[in-house]
Amino acid sequence: MAIRAFLIVLSCLAAATCRGATFSSLQQTLIVTASPQPAQVLKAGEDEITVTWSLNSTFPAGVDSSYKTVTIKLCYAPISQKYRGWRKTVDNLVKDKTCQHKIVANKPYISSSSNNTFTSTVLRDVPTATYFIRAYAQNSEGDEVAYGQTTDSHKAVNLFEIQAITGRHVSLDIASICFSAFSILSLFGFFFLEKRKSKASESK
Amino acid sequence: MEISHGSYNQKKFALPVDSEHKATEFRLFSAAAPHMRAFHLSWISFFACFVSTFAAPPLLPIIRDNLDLTATDIGNAGIAAVSGAVFARIAMGTACDLFGPRLASATLTLLTAPAVYCTSIADSPISFLLVRFFTGFSLATFVSTQFWMSSLFSGRVVGTANGVAGGWGNLGGGATQLIMPLVFDLIQNIGATKFTAWRIAFFIPALFQTLSAYGIFFLGQDLPDGNYSELHKSGEKHKDNFAQVFHHAVTNYRGWILALTYGYCFGVELTIDNIIAQYFYDRFNPGGGMLSDFMAKRFGMRGRLWTLWVVQTLGGVFCIILGQVGSLGVSVAVMLVFSVFVQAACGLTFGVVPFVSRRSLGIISGMTGGGGNVGAVLTQVIFFRGSRYSTETGLTLMGVMMICCTLLITLIYFPQWGGMFCGPSSKGKTTEEDYYMSEWSSSEREKGFHRASLKFSENSRSERGRKIGSAATPIDGTPNTYV
Repeated sequence: MAIRAFLIVLSCLAAATCRGATFSSLQQTLIVTASPQPAQVLKAGEDEITVTWSLNSTFPAGVDSSYKTVTIKLCYAPISQKYRGWRKTVDNLVKDKTCQHKIVANKPYISSSSNNTFTSTVLRDVPTATYFIRAYAQNSEGDEVAYGQTTDSHKAVNLFEIQAITGRHVSLDIASICFSAFSILSLFGFFFLEKRKSKASESK
Repeated sequence: MEISHGSYNQKKFALPVDSEHKATEFRLFSAAAPHMRAFHLSWISFFACFVSTFAAPPLLPIIRDNLDLTATDIGNAGIAAVSGAVFARIAMGTACDLFGPRLASATLTLLTAPAVYCTSIADSPISFLLVRFFTGFSLATFVSTQFWMSSLFSGRVVGTANGVAGGWGNLGGGATQLIMPLVFDLIQNIGATKFTAWRIAFFIPALFQTLSAYGIFFLGQDLPDGNYSELHKSGEKHKDNFAQVFHHAVTNYRGWILALTYGYCFGVELTIDNIIAQYFYDRFNPGGGMLSDFMAKRFGMRGRLWTLWVVQTLGGVFCIILGQVGSLGVSVAVMLVFSVFVQAACGLTFGVVPFVSRRSLGIISGMTGGGGNVGAVLTQVIFFRGSRYSTETGLTLMGVMMICCTLLITLIYFPQWGGMFCGPSSKGKTTEEDYYMSEWSSSEREKGFHRASLKFSENSRSERGRKIGSAATPIDGTPNTYV
C-alpha cells in the first residue's frame, strides 16, 4: 500500500504540473438545484437526492460550446472541513479535496437549456457531515471548465446534512463480545492448568 | 562451584549451554526446545502485538470518516496507543520477575485481545481512543521478550537474541501497513461496505494475537530447567518477594539512566513513525545487538557502553542534520542513515540491560522499555503537537535532546567492569559476585535464594573483555572458561 500510495502521489504530482486547472479560473455558468432542504438530514443508503442542472441563460450563447460532460459531486461545507486537513479546499483542482463523493459521473452535456435531472440514493460510504452540491462541466479532455453549486460563494447557505451508516451490525457486535469473553475464559483456563501442573510436580 | 563443560550438558539440550543451562549459541533456524522454541514464540507474539497496536493507522482514511474524527482525535489516539505501554512495561517487568515470562506474556496478550476485538464496535472518537489505548498495553510484551531471551541465552549471545527478537517483533508495525489494507480490500471484495469491512478486518490481528498466546502457554518454557511454577514448588527456584525486587530495581541508578536514554532512541523511533509516513521494514535493527556482543567479546561491558554512546549520539547528530536538510532526496538518505543508528542504539541498549540487575531483571527491562514509550509521548507532546515548532525545527531540537540525554551513559559505572571513562574498581568488593550478591541480604543468602544470581555472576565474567583488568578474581579461583 505504501508503494501504491507513493505511485499515486507521483502521478498526482505529474498531473498537477501538466494540468494546473484552478477553481478560481472556472466560470459559474451552471444553475444547480437539489432536493435536500436547508438543514435537512438525509440518511446514507436510504434517502434520495434529486439534482437538476441547466445553463444560466444570462451568459452569452456559445459559452457552453466546450462542455461535453457533467459531473456532480457532494461537497463538504466549511464546518465539516474544520480540523480535518484531508478535506481541505485548495485552488488547484487536482489537489482539491472539497468534493470527494460523486452523485453523477460524466453524464453527457445536453446544450439545449432544458432541465437535466438525476435522482440517486445516497451511497452507504458517505460519512456524516454537512454538504452542498456542485456540478462541474468538463470538456472533451475531462478537464473542468465551468461549475455551478447549490450554495453561495461563501458556502454558507442552503447546506444539508447526511447521516452515515454506522457500519456496525448486531452479528459483529455479538462476535466481538463472544471472542473477547473466550479470550478471558481461556486465560482462567491457563491459570487453572498451571496450578494443576505445579501441584502435580510437587507431589512427584 | 562446578565448572561447566559443554559435553556434560549436551545430552539434555540441543544447543551448547553454560552452567545456568543458558544457550551459548544462537541458531536462528532451529526451533529446538526450550531455547530457540522460546525465541520463535516470543518474537511471533511480540510481532502480533505490534500488528494489533498499529493496525488502525493504515485504515484511518476510512475510520476517520466512519467515526467523524478530527485531526486532534487522531493525534490523541496515536499518543494513547503508545502511552498505555509506559506503565504496562514496568508492570510486565515485575510480573516476569515474579511469575516468569511465559505466564506474564500469555496473560497480557490474552487480556489485550478483547481490546482489539472491540475495535470492531467502536463508534465515537472516545471509544476509538480507548481501544487504541488498551490495545497499546500489548506492547509491553517487549519486556517479556527481552526478559525471556535474557533468561535463556548467555552473555555471549544475549545481545543478538534480544536484538533479533525485538527487531523481528517490531517488523509487525511495518507489516501491518501492508496486511490491514490487503485484508480490508479482500473483505470489501467479498461484499461488505467500507464502514463494515474495516471492522471485520480487525478480527484478523485479534485472532493472531489470541493464537500466539496459546502457543506461548502450551509450547513455551520460562527457564532451561522448567517453568517458574514447577521450579517454585520443587524449591529449585526461590519465589521472590515483590517489595524486594521492586526495591532493588528502583535503587539501581543505572536502570534509570538506561530508561531515559532508551526514551531517546526507541522513543524517537516511535515519534518518527508517527510524524513521517514512511516505513522502514528493518526497525529494531538486530545489528545493534550483534554489535554489542561483538564489542563485548573484545572490550567487555566498557565496549558495550562506549558503542551505545557513540551510536546513539551519532543518531542525534543525523537527526539534527535531518531537520536542516532542504531537498527531498538528501533528506530521505539522511533519514535512512539516522534510522540505522537509532535502531542500532536500541539493540545496544538491550545488550547492557541484562547485566544491570539479576534479581530485578524484569523490572529493569520494564523500566527501560517503558522509558522508550515515555520518550515517544514527551517528544511528540513537546515538539510535534500544535503549531509552536515547524516539523524541521522539531526534528533539530529532538536531535539536540537525544545528544544531551545520551551523555548520561557516561555516568554508568559497574565496579567489576568499569564505566566509559573509569576502569574497574581496584579496592574492596569488586567482583561480579559482589555486585550481584549485594542484591540479596545475608538472611536470604542463608536460605540459598541467591543461587541463580551466583551462577549468573560466574557466567558474566565474559563482560571483562579479553584484557582481564585489575578486578580481583574470587578466592575459589574458577578460571575464566571464555576466550
